[in-house]
Amino acid sequence: MSTLRKLTSTIALGAVVGAFAVQAPAHAKDITIQMAAPDWGPTRFMQDYANKTYKSPTGNNVKLAIDFIPWGSFYDRVAASMTSGEKKYQLVVSDSQWIGTFIEGGQFMKLNKYIDADAELQNILKDVHPALTESYGTYPYKSKNIYGFPQMPDTKVTFYRKDLFCDDGEQAAFKAKYSKTLPCTYEDWESVDWDTWGNIGEFFRRDAGSKLGSGTTPDDFYGIAYQAGKTYDFSSGQALAFVWQNGGMIWDESNQPNAQAVGVVNSAAAVKGIAKYVDLLKYSPPVAKTGQMGIFAINNLFSQGKIAAIVNWNAVSATAFDPKSSTVADKTAVALPPGTMHNGELVRWDVMGGQPFVLTTWNSDEVVKESLEVVKWWLSKDTQLNFAKKSGNSALQSVMAMPEYDGIKPWNRAHKNVLKWQKDFWHVPEFFELLTQQQEEFDKAITGQSSAKDAMDSIAAFQQELLTEAGRIN
Amino acid sequence: MSNIISSALRGQFRQTNEVEKQQSTTQQTGKVQMNAFYKWLLDPKRRGALLVTPAVLLLFVMNIFPLMWSFGLSFFHFKASSMKPPRFAGFYYYEKVLADPVVWDRFQTTAAIVSLSVLTQLVIGSALALLFAKKFPLRREILMMILTPMMLSFVAVGVFFKLFYEPTFGIISQAYMYFSGETMTLLATKWGAIAGIVIADAWMWSPFVMLLVLAGLVSVPDYLYEAADVDRATPWERFKTVTFPYVKGLLLLAVLFRTIETFKLFDIVYIITAGGPGTSTETIAVYVYRMAFQFFKTSQSSALSYILLFVVIVLTNLYLYFVNQRNEGAS
Repeated sequence: MSTLRKLTSTIALGAVVGAFAVQAPAHAKDITIQMAAPDWGPTRFMQDYANKTYKSPTGNNVKLAIDFIPWGSFYDRVAASMTSGEKKYQLVVSDSQWIGTFIEGGQFMKLNKYIDADAELQNILKDVHPALTESYGTYPYKSKNIYGFPQMPDTKVTFYRKDLFCDDGEQAAFKAKYSKTLPCTYEDWESVDWDTWGNIGEFFRRDAGSKLGSGTTPDDFYGIAYQAGKTYDFSSGQALAFVWQNGGMIWDESNQPNAQAVGVVNSAAAVKGIAKYVDLLKYSPPVAKTGQMGIFAINNLFSQGKIAAIVNWNAVSATAFDPKSSTVADKTAVALPPGTMHNGELVRWDVMGGQPFVLTTWNSDEVVKESLEVVKWWLSKDTQLNFAKKSGNSALQSVMAMPEYDGIKPWNRAHKNVLKWQKDFWHVPEFFELLTQQQEEFDKAITGQSSAKDAMDSIAAFQQELLTEAGRIN
Repeated sequence: MSNIISSALRGQFRQTNEVEKQQSTTQQTGKVQMNAFYKWLLDPKRRGALLVTPAVLLLFVMNIFPLMWSFGLSFFHFKASSMKPPRFAGFYYYEKVLADPVVWDRFQTTAAIVSLSVLTQLVIGSALALLFAKKFPLRREILMMILTPMMLSFVAVGVFFKLFYEPTFGIISQAYMYFSGETMTLLATKWGAIAGIVIADAWMWSPFVMLLVLAGLVSVPDYLYEAADVDRATPWERFKTVTFPYVKGLLLLAVLFRTIETFKLFDIVYIITAGGPGTSTETIAVYVYRMAFQFFKTSQSSALSYILLFVVIVLTNLYLYFVNQRNEGAS
C-alpha cells in the first residue's frame, strides 16, 4: 500500500469515526414522540415529512409517531385519552376551543418558561401570524400565556364557478338586473358584500332544464351556500362572522369576570347579524331548511356542480379542485369571502379555523425538550414551505410573504389576506355547553322555529346563567 | 498448600451437595403440595365454580365494577376532565336532574319516538311474519334479504338514511319529487324529523319482530286450523282463537325488547338529525352523551343514567307483572 493510499484511508476512517461521534453520541437515546392527530392530509404530510427529514439536533434518535384518528371520533378519543389518565400522548392536535378544558384539567402544558429560555422559539413565535398565536396558543384568550403552536391554520374563503361568473351572458344579465358587476376575478370579489352575495344567490337559482352559463342545468341549481348545520360548530362557524361584522360581540372571555352575556350577546347589532345570516339561506339548496347544511354537505353539493358559489374552509373545499371527487375541478376559482360595509369599509371579521398542537404535562424534561424540537422543525421555513406545497397552509408570515406563495395553491392569496380578520370564540372549559346551546338556538332560527331575536335572547340568558354559576361572570 | 486447597474444595463440594439435596427435597415437597392443591381445586365439587370464575371475573372487571364506580360517582362532585379528587355531594345530582326541565323534555321526546317506533315495528314485523309464514317461490332468499338491515351497524344505517333524506340528491327525496313535483325536506320540522328516525329504526328492527312472530306462527299445530275449518271459523276467528294465542307471548317479548332498546336509541338520532331541528329529536340517550362526554358533567350524567336505568327496570317489571296477571287470568 502506497503512503498516499495509507494516508487517504486513515483520513477517511477518521472522518467516518468523527461523523459517527458527532451524530450518535454514546448516550444517544431512542425517544418516540406520540402525537394524537386527526386523520387527514395535513397530518399525514407531517408524518411522512418527519419520517423523511426529521433528525433531532440533540443527537437522540427521536421518532415522531402520529396516531391518526378519524375526524368523526377525534374529540371523543382525545377526550377519553386525556381524562382516563393513560398519558399516552406527548403532543396533541386540538381544536383551539378545547384547550381551556384540558389546561384547567391539568393535561396541557404552559410553555412560557421554555419559550423564554429559547431564542429560536421566540423567533418562531415572532414569525407566526399573530392571529394564529392568539387563537391557538393563548389561555386565557389573548393573554400572554402560551400553550400551543399552529399545526394547520385554516380560514374560510369563497369557492366559485368561474365558468358561470365570467360568462358574458350571465355578466350582462346580472348587470341588467342588479346594476352591479357579477364578480369574475379575485379583484372583483374584493368589493363583494353580503347584499351582493344575496343577489348572486337569487340570480343563479335555476330550475332543472334552464339555461345556465353556456349550457343548461340538468338539475335544480342554487346560487350560494355557507355552513348552517347543527352538528358541532357548523353554524356558529359562519353565523358569528355576521355578528362581528355587524358590530356585535360574543361574551368576552378575556375580560372575566366583568364581561356580561345579557345585553352583549343579544345586542341589536348581534341580532341584525344573525337575521342576515338566516335570511341569506333562502338562496341555498333545500338541505339548508333542515339544519343539516354542514361544511361537508356544501362542499359535496358544490363539487357535484349544484351551487354557483360557497363560502367554506379552504382545507375542506380543497377537494373541489380534485377531478377524482369534483365535477367542477377545472371550473373553480377562489376569492375573498364577502364582507359587511361599515363606515365605508368592508369588514371581514370571521371565525378562525384550523388546529394548534400542544404539549402534555406528564413528560420528563428530556421528552419536553425533544417535543419542542419537533415544534421547531415543524415551524421552520423549509418545512412550512413544503407543507404549503403539498397539503396545508403555512403559519409563518415569512413563508406567506414569499413571491411564489400566492401561486402554490388557488386559495393561498385569499387565505393570506383574510388571516388578519380572524377571531376565535371561547376557550373556557364550558365551551361545549356554550356551543351546544348556541347551535341549538341557531338551528331553531335556521329551521324557522324561532326568530333571530328569540334565538339570541335565549343564548344570552343561558350564557349569563352558566357562566355566572361557573364563576366567570360577576 | 495444595492439601489445604483440596480439603477446602472437598468441604465446599460437600456443602454444595447438601444444599442441592435440600433444594431437591424442597422441590419434591413443593410438587407434592402443588399436586394436592390441583387435586383439591379440580375436585368435582369445585369444578363448576372454577369454570365459571373467568367469566365472572371478566364480567366484574368490564361491567360490574364500572357500574358500581359510576354509581358511586353520582354521589360526588366530580368532572372527568379535571384531575381534582371527588368531593361528597349526597343526593345533590339526583335532585338536580329530577328538577331539570330539559331532562323531562328529553324524556317526552324519547317516549314519542319509542311509542311510534315500536308500534311501527310491531305492525310491519307482524305483516312480514304473516307473509313469510306461507310458502312461495324464493321465500328463503327474500327472507335473508329482509333480515339484512338487522345485521348492519347503527352508524351505517344512520348514514344511509341521512343520505336518503338529503333533499337535493337523496333517493327518498328524489322519489318524492318524482311523484309530487315538490322538494322533500323531511328533517326540517319536528314531526318530520321524528318520522325520519322512526322509519330508519323500523327499517332496521322490524325484521327482528318478524322473526319472533314467525316463530310463533310456525309453532301453531295444523290440526287446530283443520278443527277451525271444520267449525267453519271466519279468518278473523281463526286468527283470534288459534293463531294469536300462540303468537301473543312472543309478540309481547318483542315489545319488551324493542321498548328497552329504543329507549336507549342514540346512534341513529345522533347521525340523522343530531337531535335537531333545534332540540326536537334529542333523546335522553343523546342528552346523557352530551352531558357526560361533551360537558364533562360526570356526576350529573351518572345520576341521570341511573334514573334512566331505574325507569327501564320499573317499566320492565310493570310489563312482566301485567303479562303474568293476564296469564294467570287465562289459566
